[in-house]
Amino acid sequence: MLKGYFTKHRLGPIMVGEEFVNMIPKAKGQIWKACVNGDAVEVIALSNAVLLDVLRDNVGTLGVKRGCDLGTCGCCAVMVDGEPRLSCLCLAGDAEGSEITTVEGLADGHHLSPIQNCFAEYGGSQCGFCTPGFLISAQALLNQTDDPSEEEIAKAIEGNLCRCTGYQQISDSIRAAASILRGEKENKNPTITPHSNPHPTGPEEPNMPPGHAR
Amino acid sequence: MSGGYKQQPGSGGNTVRKDGKRVAGKLKFQPPGAGGSNPKMKERDLDFIPESVGGKEPQPAGSHVHDRLRTGTVVGKEVALVDANPKVIGKAEYGDDVRLGGEIIGKILRSPHHYAKIKSIDTSKVEALPGVIAVATGADAPKTFGVLPVTKDEHAMAIEKVRHMGDLVACVAAVDEETALHALNLFEVEYEILDAEFDPRKGIEDVDEPIHWRGKYHVGNTNIQKRVFQEFGDRSLVESPAASSSRKWRFEGVHHGFTEPHAVVAEWDATGRLQLYTPQQVPHYTHRALSTVLDVPMHQINVIRTFVGGGFGGKSDPFPHEMCAAILARKAGRPVRITFDREEVYWINRGRHPSYIEVKIDADEQGRVAGFDIDALIDGGAFASFGHVTSYYNGVLATSPYELGSFHYTGARVWTNKPASGAMRGHGAVNTRCAVEVGMDEIAEQLAVDPIDLRLANLLPPHCRTITGFRITSNGMREALTKVREGSDWDNKFRKLPLGKGIGIGCGFFISGSGLPIHWDPNRFPHATVHIQIDMDGGVTVHTGAADIGQGSTTAVAQVVSEVLALPLDMIHVRSHESDTSPVDLGSYSSRVTFMNCNAAIRAAMEIREQLLNAAWEMTGYHPTTLVLNDRRIYYKHDPAIGVSYLEALHKAQEDVGALIARGAYRSPPMGGVHKGAAAGLAPAYSFSAYVAEVDVDVETGIVKCTNVWAAHDCGKALNPLSVRGQIIGSCHMGLGQVLSEKMVYGRTGHLQNANLLQYQIPSVHEMPHVTPIIVESSDPEGPFGAKEAGEGPLLPILPAVVNAVYDAIGVRPNTLPLTPDQMWSDIQKKMKELKIKDPRKLESPRLEHGNLQPVLEQRAEEHRIRDGKRQRTEDTSAYVNGALFGFDPNIPMEDQVEGWRSATEPEPEKLAELGIAGKAWLKQEQRKMGGDN
Amino acid sequence: MLMPAFELHKPVSIEEAVALARDLIDSGQEFDWVSGGTDLIPNYKWHINTKPHVISLAGIEEMKSLSMTEIGAGVKLSQLEVSDEIHPLLKTAAGKVASSLIRKSATLGGNICLDTRCFWYNQSEDWRRSIEWCHKADCGTGADCRVIPNQNTLCVATYQGDMAASLISLGAMITLVGPDGIREMPIEDFFELDGMKKNVLQKGEFVCKVTFSEEVSKRVGAYKKLRVRETWDFPEAGSAASWIPGDLSSLRIGTTGIESIPRSHCKEIEQHANWNDEDSIFELSQAVQKSVKAVNNTILSPRYRKAMVSVLTRRAIEEII
Repeated sequence: MLKGYFTKHRLGPIMVGEEFVNMIPKAKGQIWKACVNGDAVEVIALSNAVLLDVLRDNVGTLGVKRGCDLGTCGCCAVMVDGEPRLSCLCLAGDAEGSEITTVEGLADGHHLSPIQNCFAEYGGSQCGFCTPGFLISAQALLNQTDDPSEEEIAKAIEGNLCRCTGYQQISDSIRAAASILRGEKENKNPTITPHSNPHPTGPEEPNMPPGHAR
Repeated sequence: MSGGYKQQPGSGGNTVRKDGKRVAGKLKFQPPGAGGSNPKMKERDLDFIPESVGGKEPQPAGSHVHDRLRTGTVVGKEVALVDANPKVIGKAEYGDDVRLGGEIIGKILRSPHHYAKIKSIDTSKVEALPGVIAVATGADAPKTFGVLPVTKDEHAMAIEKVRHMGDLVACVAAVDEETALHALNLFEVEYEILDAEFDPRKGIEDVDEPIHWRGKYHVGNTNIQKRVFQEFGDRSLVESPAASSSRKWRFEGVHHGFTEPHAVVAEWDATGRLQLYTPQQVPHYTHRALSTVLDVPMHQINVIRTFVGGGFGGKSDPFPHEMCAAILARKAGRPVRITFDREEVYWINRGRHPSYIEVKIDADEQGRVAGFDIDALIDGGAFASFGHVTSYYNGVLATSPYELGSFHYTGARVWTNKPASGAMRGHGAVNTRCAVEVGMDEIAEQLAVDPIDLRLANLLPPHCRTITGFRITSNGMREALTKVREGSDWDNKFRKLPLGKGIGIGCGFFISGSGLPIHWDPNRFPHATVHIQIDMDGGVTVHTGAADIGQGSTTAVAQVVSEVLALPLDMIHVRSHESDTSPVDLGSYSSRVTFMNCNAAIRAAMEIREQLLNAAWEMTGYHPTTLVLNDRRIYYKHDPAIGVSYLEALHKAQEDVGALIARGAYRSPPMGGVHKGAAAGLAPAYSFSAYVAEVDVDVETGIVKCTNVWAAHDCGKALNPLSVRGQIIGSCHMGLGQVLSEKMVYGRTGHLQNANLLQYQIPSVHEMPHVTPIIVESSDPEGPFGAKEAGEGPLLPILPAVVNAVYDAIGVRPNTLPLTPDQMWSDIQKKMKELKIKDPRKLESPRLEHGNLQPVLEQRAEEHRIRDGKRQRTEDTSAYVNGALFGFDPNIPMEDQVEGWRSATEPEPEKLAELGIAGKAWLKQEQRKMGGDN
Repeated sequence: MLMPAFELHKPVSIEEAVALARDLIDSGQEFDWVSGGTDLIPNYKWHINTKPHVISLAGIEEMKSLSMTEIGAGVKLSQLEVSDEIHPLLKTAAGKVASSLIRKSATLGGNICLDTRCFWYNQSEDWRRSIEWCHKADCGTGADCRVIPNQNTLCVATYQGDMAASLISLGAMITLVGPDGIREMPIEDFFELDGMKKNVLQKGEFVCKVTFSEEVSKRVGAYKKLRVRETWDFPEAGSAASWIPGDLSSLRIGTTGIESIPRSHCKEIEQHANWNDEDSIFELSQAVQKSVKAVNNTILSPRYRKAMVSVLTRRAIEEII
């Protein structure tokens, strides 16, 4: 384009007044029903709605993250009828009537699932934005097997993008969660387990200085 | 009224006096806050108490001033991030998760042109659209802002010109997204298109319409934003080198690629104050910029940092969309939420600068580095951002870890009509470091020596000064190199692997916090401040402005407080989200948080500790020097049964004052030279790293796969080894992206062609090598418990390690990054033509016969190892200045010892013609020296 | 990103889908088919050639058949990659498409009908407006092609479906169904050399299944895919080869990711019918390479992509002999 060439950044037809309302193309709203994290949900969703938008804006499960919105980052992954799916590429209409599990549905109240505890404990989550998606992919894998191989883990999370961890500690977390499922390790206590008492008692045997320091 | 409430506390129930009168009883109060689990004190964890204070923790680098504060509670132990649980249950609120009642949606009108004058903006049709609540244009916020006070060149929305495609032109807030997006189509903007420039190499030429105008400081009529010249050392050393490597590099721009797109929510509350929610690394700068742009005093703005979904430098500028949200919300009287699409994230960019870098390294016959000549032309895009600093970093951060005979740097940052470059993990140091380390590899080859031995024989020792005057304290470079050499089985692999398999080395050097706070005089206001408050319940609330962006700064602060007070982590609550409650902090950039914030936190905790010890003194009668803090108790060190609980001591300390409140601050010590630009690259400590990478190269397809990395990083002291390892592996991942696949592609029309995560190719789990993180602890004398940074430095070495490994694999030395398959393939084709072979499978990988210099270097390395050990443990405290290797006396100024010793920040006019492409910027004069009328 | 306004229809049988299509055509309404959505939805989010109606084929059970000789178009790639019912080559090829999460949604039919791609085209509306649109999505402006300006009417967007190459090499037949009935043809005839038209589908017609002759079970095949990352990326070039071991003349080669259509290379094989040693295989691969033409509209350079066709083809053949 040449210098001095004037353009008008004017897009779309120009109308005034009420006519604009009709101009804004909007799809039809419909009742959308599904079972989200065990709860029956009924919301008004547009016919063209994408599952991600319905979950975030209508259902209110904000744990489902919008990262790239185009199917690469995997932050929006949710389970639809037990299968991990990219909610950003899933028409809400196609998921109607299904059982949907989001990251909010992984824990049982205060009892975090093994995979959640392990992501916290093994450094699987740094900034945490991709974590909901990874947890869904990982949980889907663990639903299939409690002894996943290195390749199976890689394949399960190949659709999720993490920019912080370099995936290694995510794999560690998944392996640790698998060992909990196999019964080799204990899951952590629920989050409401009583916390430290600031008024503890001292040692009973006065002659045994614990950690006698000079 | 029923009974039971006693006005007078005390012990015992109701009593009756001898005379028959009833007296109110004195009931013993249960200490408030008592209860909970593990009511018994744990024994001291001697494994985590340093040897110097009687514990078992080994201290190869000597004792540390903070040792006496160690209680064995958490420091050095692997702990989960304290904010991990909200993240794993999906309750952590990021920018777009802030949903306020009555919110409306903001959208931004962006420039469709690369460079154009705005002749007019007509918003009448937008305003007439039902559902539109507020409209704003550049005229609503004419004041400039920018992250650096010296280069404030941004507006909330374009005023006269748009400078890149995607530049902000106007914004609108409407009842829903559909309406807001539709409204964007109704803006009538008239542009006059100007000649756009995308090639930074043309940025040093005079043009009709420079992208910005700096008045009398403008360099010619060019697009040069900043130019740097530095020359130090004895230039005569490079006149007849024994080995010389000179390479011209091209680095594409890369983006942070954080998973959370920018988002902001602004609300003017009922009291007329602005509440702004934003995922920011540096909320304080946003706070300042908002105040300027909105013309509202800072105390009327509360910046609330949400959880940050990754930053890496990309969320550290104050952003125009943050201003837009505030402006729209002010006009609308309703909360406004603006969330970016991924494409918009790339428009705001601030990624690593696309760069043209030339590095020449000369070595003398003893295998010493006679000189580094660096010329770096960096493409700043349309705005200054952090660029002023980047221009320096590209040179000065290459002056260590090697001892140099001379250093010559010319750098220039130019504006182009592309989204602005800025700070990204490893700010300014990454590209040059890659070029330098590959050059060192080439030098080693020419000298027929092992590249690790070459490095080991040229390292600066701990406690020294670099050639440009940086003060290096702890230095774990040697240990890092040694450890990766052992870990990778280097000696059995280097130059011995079959074609297509290779191994390479790279080192890194990075600042641990920048020495000067950029917005104020460090003598007038500290770098970091931390407040601690403890009320009668015993819970410790820590207020800090440090921005946790996932790196774990909140955890680190909680850890050091927990360590000093010997309290379990669950008793420490860090509040860092709101500027209303957080003391001013510079935020998360330049890897400063652990160093500065934890130091401030330790100081605050020490104050509390003293109050507790004094209270315990009063209660037990034992002097604080004989008391020990351990797991929620304070006791006499020779008889742990004599002691008080933490809560008892706390209540005693609170008797007259109520809640305990303490604050601590950190200020960097005075340091550095006095030359122009001496402050750039100054840091209270530096981190060092060395990586060995193994690669597989498919000679036919050019596909490079990194299979193994041994990554040693000197972080001083790993406060939380889990996090440090996470940072090292994560850095590897990001650096690997830059070296193998990531680039921002600007096509022939100057449009960014891959503004999405599918085509901007960040490595997936399959591209990740197996990384063996190796933590080196050099115990920095000024770091919190000896700690230094671990967030950025570990990124640097992976690039050169991979490039060097590629050479080892196939004998091709690339000098254009990233090594995408097509790039690699054409490099291989070139090599084949050179060797006159048809089949790439007939290439030969290089081999090494050690030359005569090898034993010399090995011996020197061994001598230096002993020297360094003594200096690290401060057995030897003599001064050491870069140049001693060349026989100079550190106690006499260099200029007095060598005639040719130079220390200059402007080029000599007669040598202008010899300068590289960035150096050519010095051919132009500033307007004020041209007699211009501006 | 805001979806364009459209109405979603969800037929549960082929019959119903055809009827819906016929109704919409009769009433002069435009529509798109969608199955898994992984190709269409990104384009819709970018507001590329959107239509007011979208008919989802996801709910049609008839299109989910799975056997050695017949695969329904509605079968998900994630089912293919673990299935032991189908030809192993298809299993491998399916496993190489995009990422595991995408494959949970993406279907075989969708992959075959993948829209052609080009970096002047797969961009947001604002972006495309800024280049004043392009040939493939000209928004009524009659814009020229941005890859090769001033060329004729053809669009050179690249076909980057993975499955087509393997299907071609296995000699698959494709079945289309629409208001005018059922059609069946060899899969290579399904594609049309134009990035805009892409294939022979008529208005209201859709892919219902692919079928194979019984002979397919004897075939041994390999698929080589060129991409930067082992996940997400579309093929920058891909080559599949299969044969009935021992029978040189049974070799079939399909390539994809280079041009606007995937190609079958019967002609080149005919010319090098005696491909039985290293040199002759090399020559055959070279011939395959020479028969294709790449343009600069994907991530890697066209010169390189073309050069790789030979390497990939040779490696595919080497793997199966």
